Amino acid sequence: MMKTPFGHTVYAMGAEYPSAAALYEAAKRVRDAGFRRWDVYSPFPIHGMDEAMGLGKSWLSGWVLFGGVSGLLTAALVEFGPSWGLYRLDVHGKPWNFWTVPAFFPIMFELTVLFGAFASFFAWLGMNGLPRWYHPMFNWERFSRVTNDGFFLAIEARDPRFTETGVRELLEQTGGQHITIVHED
Amino acid sequence: MSERSQTVPTPEGEYFESSRFAGLSFLLGLVSVITLVLCAVGAFVNPHQLSYSWLFAFAFFFTLCAGCFFWTIVHHATDAEWTVVVRRQLENIAVLLAVLALLFVPILLLRHHLYAWMDIPRGHEAALDSKRAYLNFTFFVVRAIVFLGSFIVASQLLRCLSVRQDTDGNPRFTIWMRRVSFASLPMFAFCLTFGAFDWLMSLNYRWFSTMFGVYIFAGAAGSSMSLLVLVITALRQAGYLKDVVTVEHYHIMGKWMFAFCIFWAYIGFGQYMLIWYANIPEETQFFLARNTQSWWVLSMLLVIGRFFGPFAILLLRSIKKNPHQLSIVAGWILFMQLLDMYLIVLPALHGTGVHASIWDLLSLIAVGATLGFVYLRLVPRSSLFPVRDPRLIESLKLVN
Repeated sequence: MMKTPFGHTVYAMGAEYPSAAALYEAAKRVRDAGFRRWDVYSPFPIHGMDEAMGLGKSWLSGWVLFGGVSGLLTAALVEFGPSWGLYRLDVHGKPWNFWTVPAFFPIMFELTVLFGAFASFFAWLGMNGLPRWYHPMFNWERFSRVTNDGFFLAIEARDPRFTETGVRELLEQTGGQHITIVHED
Repeated sequence: MSERSQTVPTPEGEYFESSRFAGLSFLLGLVSVITLVLCAVGAFVNPHQLSYSWLFAFAFFFTLCAGCFFWTIVHHATDAEWTVVVRRQLENIAVLLAVLALLFVPILLLRHHLYAWMDIPRGHEAALDSKRAYLNFTFFVVRAIVFLGSFIVASQLLRCLSVRQDTDGNPRFTIWMRRVSFASLPMFAFCLTFGAFDWLMSLNYRWFSTMFGVYIFAGAAGSSMSLLVLVITALRQAGYLKDVVTVEHYHIMGKWMFAFCIFWAYIGFGQYMLIWYANIPEETQFFLARNTQSWWVLSMLLVIGRFFGPFAILLLRSIKKNPHQLSIVAGWILFMQLLDMYLIVLPALHGTGVHASIWDLLSLIAVGATLGFVYLRLVPRSSLFPVRDPRLIESLKLVN
């Protein structure tokens, strides 16, 4: 674990950029340099940034599929279970066998959507490491501009390629300003 | 801020060389003439069967062309960017509605075989008499003229304005096309809904469903998007639109196929379930004919093949981004649309079970070959995409 001379744990090295376009170009350079543990921060979403950062495909969709399928199976279980013997009801003389399934479709559809929506929301929270009370980037005073007009990029110290001189050099080359070490605590 | 380098297309656009496809055009023309003559013979040999077969073929191609018209007007009304590069083909297919209006004439001539309500005199059936204000021959013809006429005028106007914009790129044409489209949206909904009521639902004048028009629309929109995928892929196979239509456009077309696959199922099930659950004989008769005997197999195939199969496949992003695989799915959806129209029209004739007939096939080929022939004549007349559309560059740079 990297420490500063004053004994603080190093979270990352951050740099500020003058515009979204500059941040976008910098992200491509950092991606090409092979860093894995890093992130960009901006007041608004930047179109094409996921590609510039080399993020690849998000697997949130996998969780949504999982949620949707479990919703479908839950609905099938709680509908077919009673209908096939647990608690038979005669509704309009409809059959008890499989062919009563059209009556079950609305619930199957709704639970699929509901569970899928829950899965997407909670998986999204989890994948983003949320909820959390604090983020080390807030230790950097300039970073408060991120919700206003600041564009930031931070390469984290846990990245295996992280060296103080190397990262500082890279951030300077990409046009980063106010390059600084951000404390963990 | 895309990383994809864009080659700006030549200002003249790309032109379809009809000489390269003279053989295909001749073949389609020949097949069209032969099958049309055969169908004319069929109208005397077996008029009852032929009239239903012809209506089935007409309904299939009408939904495809009307669907392409729908996508054109939605493009203008929503100011969409992505559609620009594929819009000319939508316009080309939509103007085929004029040919379909000619092919509607046999339905009028054979009307007594198709629509029983035309032959039942007043006073025989109270249920029918109460519908006479709507279901009478004069009004039927007037409506057909209004519906097909509106489609023809609007689709011709849109294509004409779009082609004229190719010469000077005046944004004025875009504004005009938007105006035509806004006027066309309610017209389209009205004409397609009541067209479906008139030509398909009134095959059984005792049956009615308020969902029927929407059901036809859902099938039309999804299958015409599939047709567009196939047409664009065919043009790319022939060496056109290579730098113009990208995987991103395929991705969006795939998403629309997916969306309308779900919408079709939603509407189809919405119509089915209310009727099935309420279990009222005057409503259930439609599904009773289609869910029993050998029709049951085809109905199940439709439910699985039109919804469950494509739904599961089109969930995958990789399929939507692969032109070849997406085209296979698109072909399958077109086949399912064919089956859908078959299941709407033919059980009205063969209530006791599936009765495949050579006239079904001949009618289908006759209408299809005629439209294909006209389409091949139409394509070379203008650039394959609107070269001077103000939003062409945005469309070329599409990322989603």
